[in-house]
Amino acid sequence: MSGPVPSLDRLPGDPRYWYAGLAVLLVAWPLLFGAFWARIGLGALMWIGLAQSWNMIGGYAGYLDFGHGAYFGIGAFAAGIAMAQFGYPFLVGFGLAIVVSSIVSYLVAVPTLRLTGAYFAIATWAFAESIKQTALVTGITGGTFGLSLPRSPDTFVGVPVPFAISETFFYYAMLVLCLATMALTYYLFERHEFGYRVKALRDDQDAAESLGIDTTRVKRQVYVLSCVVAAVFGSVHAWYIVYIHPNDVLAPIITDRMVIMALLGGLGTLTGPVAGGLLVFLLERLSSVFLGSTTFYLPLIGVLIMVTVLFAPSGIIGILRGEVDRDDVRKNVKELGEKFDLL
Amino acid sequence: MVDIGLFTQIVINGLLLGGIYITIGVGFSLAFGVLEVVDFAVGEYVMVGAFMGAVLAPVFGAEGIFVIPIVLVVFFLAGSLIQPLIHHVTTGDRPHPLLMGLVFTFGLATFLRGSVLTIFGPNNQDVPSSLLTGGVTVPGVGTFPVVRTVTAVFGVTGLLVFMYYLYRTRGGMAIRAIAEDRTNARLMGININRYQSIAYGAYAALTGSAGVFIGMIFTANPGMGLQYTAFAFFMVVLAGMGYLPGVILAGIVLGLTQSFTAVYISGNLVLLVLFAIIYVVLLVSPAGILGKGEWAT
Amino acid sequence: MTDDILRTTDLTKRFGALTANDGISLSVERGEIRGIIGPNGSGKTTFFNTVTGFYQPDSGSVHFDGEEVTGWEPHRLARRGLGRTFQIVSPFKNMTVRQNMLAVQTDDDRSREEKRDRAGEIMEFLEIDHIADNEARGMSGGQQKLLELGRVLMLDPEVVMLDEPAAGVNPALESRIMDHIHELNDEGRTFVVIEHDMHVMKTLADSVSVFDSGSHIAQGDFEEVSQDDAVREAYLGGTTAEDDEVPI
Repeated sequence: MSGPVPSLDRLPGDPRYWYAGLAVLLVAWPLLFGAFWARIGLGALMWIGLAQSWNMIGGYAGYLDFGHGAYFGIGAFAAGIAMAQFGYPFLVGFGLAIVVSSIVSYLVAVPTLRLTGAYFAIATWAFAESIKQTALVTGITGGTFGLSLPRSPDTFVGVPVPFAISETFFYYAMLVLCLATMALTYYLFERHEFGYRVKALRDDQDAAESLGIDTTRVKRQVYVLSCVVAAVFGSVHAWYIVYIHPNDVLAPIITDRMVIMALLGGLGTLTGPVAGGLLVFLLERLSSVFLGSTTFYLPLIGVLIMVTVLFAPSGIIGILRGEVDRDDVRKNVKELGEKFDLL
Repeated sequence: MVDIGLFTQIVINGLLLGGIYITIGVGFSLAFGVLEVVDFAVGEYVMVGAFMGAVLAPVFGAEGIFVIPIVLVVFFLAGSLIQPLIHHVTTGDRPHPLLMGLVFTFGLATFLRGSVLTIFGPNNQDVPSSLLTGGVTVPGVGTFPVVRTVTAVFGVTGLLVFMYYLYRTRGGMAIRAIAEDRTNARLMGININRYQSIAYGAYAALTGSAGVFIGMIFTANPGMGLQYTAFAFFMVVLAGMGYLPGVILAGIVLGLTQSFTAVYISGNLVLLVLFAIIYVVLLVSPAGILGKGEWAT
Repeated sequence: MTDDILRTTDLTKRFGALTANDGISLSVERGEIRGIIGPNGSGKTTFFNTVTGFYQPDSGSVHFDGEEVTGWEPHRLARRGLGRTFQIVSPFKNMTVRQNMLAVQTDDDRSREEKRDRAGEIMEFLEIDHIADNEARGMSGGQQKLLELGRVLMLDPEVVMLDEPAAGVNPALESRIMDHIHELNDEGRTFVVIEHDMHVMKTLADSVSVFDSGSHIAQGDFEEVSQDDAVREAYLGGTTAEDDEVPI
């Protein structure tokens, strides 16, 4: 069976040692490097997970969801409202995030997935903006004031936890979620027939239908799944960040980042969102730490997207796998040059 | 009781705004027809235009309107050079070329917004104009603010020139032939690179200069692009993709919707209403409410 | 009373002013190979698309295996046992041959292992097992045709509708495909085949239906049909020679 080529296999030596080393590093990370790096680490893990959630619908199913960030915000507000407005513990908010995002995403899926291509992209984008604008004028979300969550005590659903709810705790929470998302993606999309059906409808919807695949149903399943995953990350993010505002957790930049990460890494691949997520997240952090600019990464990312689409549409993973080599780039440059024949 | 005076004033303001939106919408619709790309950068052209107004106006005696010729030229050239890139990503041997075009303009939008934000910071910048102040009051009707009136006149003039070019010249015929069928146009011996670049350049020039006017009416802000992208989408979604007469109607509807919502409901709700309409129209009638748009994937 | 596995009654499909299928009544007997011929634009592919649920008929009905299936969704018909291929070969390019086969979805209660075994058998039968783990994008046109046939067989269909199975295939592979169709037919599967190559049709089909301008104008064995005046008129009279068939 040919699945994705895990990039660690390309390193010298027995790949098992590399995997073991990576596992140790991931687990020991916050203990080795302290709170600051735990914060960086948990951010990276969250974004990898979010990029992967977008990759499910955008990459594997080929439906460019330009409103995916709405579900991150829905998850954050579901947890936030449960905790801040009703005083429930986080786990209730977590459950609520799953329930609400499933219901909303299903209700959106039924009419919206009938659209294809650019129409789907615009419709989801408009949907997400509607959600954001609604959150800004609704009372229960705190409207333009945002919502402050209670600082959690050092207990987890009433059970005392061995360490304080701190960066370290959230690092491990995000690690578990991110790994679970990766495992789920690997199993469902790379190993299970379900994933073949998803790719089939992306490649040729009519052929897929003719082979017994209920494309409407499969699309809805992928959409709901990817939205619930985004909402789960949103709920934990709200718990961690304590203060949520529609302009933050429902900002269009959240969708933008997910799209960019998956695209740069390689659409419809397991490891693409990891590579893209790390690259974009680190670019953002490094530009703010070393250049003192919190926005410089935006034009950088813009250029990266354009260059990727122009010369390496299969992303970083495509380059690593050797799908895009120097000849392809040269051919692309030549073809592009011909299109500049304007006079 | 509705105040009649206020009501007519809102209508005037809405119609005048509609004039400039039509310019943006028609160019956007044409870019879709010719290049088959849904241009996510449209609002950022408006934003960059407004910033050019803010930055260059002081050089020209604090007169935003004198910046217009420069903006027209710069945007035309920039648009002509961006077009081949879009053409390249939407053709050739790559998966989902049309979606790649969408993503490319999305990257372009991110680049433009991020650059302006990084260079000028997140604050509002004024686009000054001393000539275009005050208003002309027509008794019994209402006041026509000079800046909005000139803007509408510019918008309609730009549109007419553009339409004249499209429908009355050889170049315009070539562009329409490309919009009809790119392959056929190529077979007819049309240099499609050239005419696509002209079309996209003209669209960029009109959109950028519309930005200067919008900057004079409101203000220039790095985050303003999103709103105008939404406006452009609103117009073509309402009109139906690629159906120009519908865009004109939709532009007027947009101007009126904006000015009525702002007064009678709340300024905060303008975007909510617009996005909700875009979403619902796409679901209910994807070919536009007049049903004359074309489907594309 | 003959045993009809597929029957259409007055099936009509219009596209605006164009009537692509005009009241087509046609019965396919269980176990036969039925050929469908006709000039370009005579409504053959539209007929396939309407029967297999890709188009909704404007009027008329489709019966399959004793059950009315008019207006069923394509995937439901496929699972019920009505398989088809497309004129333009359409493998899932970003997947391997084996994954292409395993993507097929059926209603039966075969386990995953059984389906994997079945995919292996079919690939062996079609002699594409040596490229099972290659991506479909790199395959030749002929291999893609075989893969399409293999995918349809994963449905374990009672009726297989093939839209130009020999188009663009070299003669050696063409005879291989025809042999496969005969073997599968001997197992009891019914075939409905659109084909332009009269030589292929003559050796393959038990009976032939002729379409012209959206109507079903003649039916019989190949010799009979080729002597029919209406058929000769359709082909030689050149009523509709241009390619105005509505593609899916």
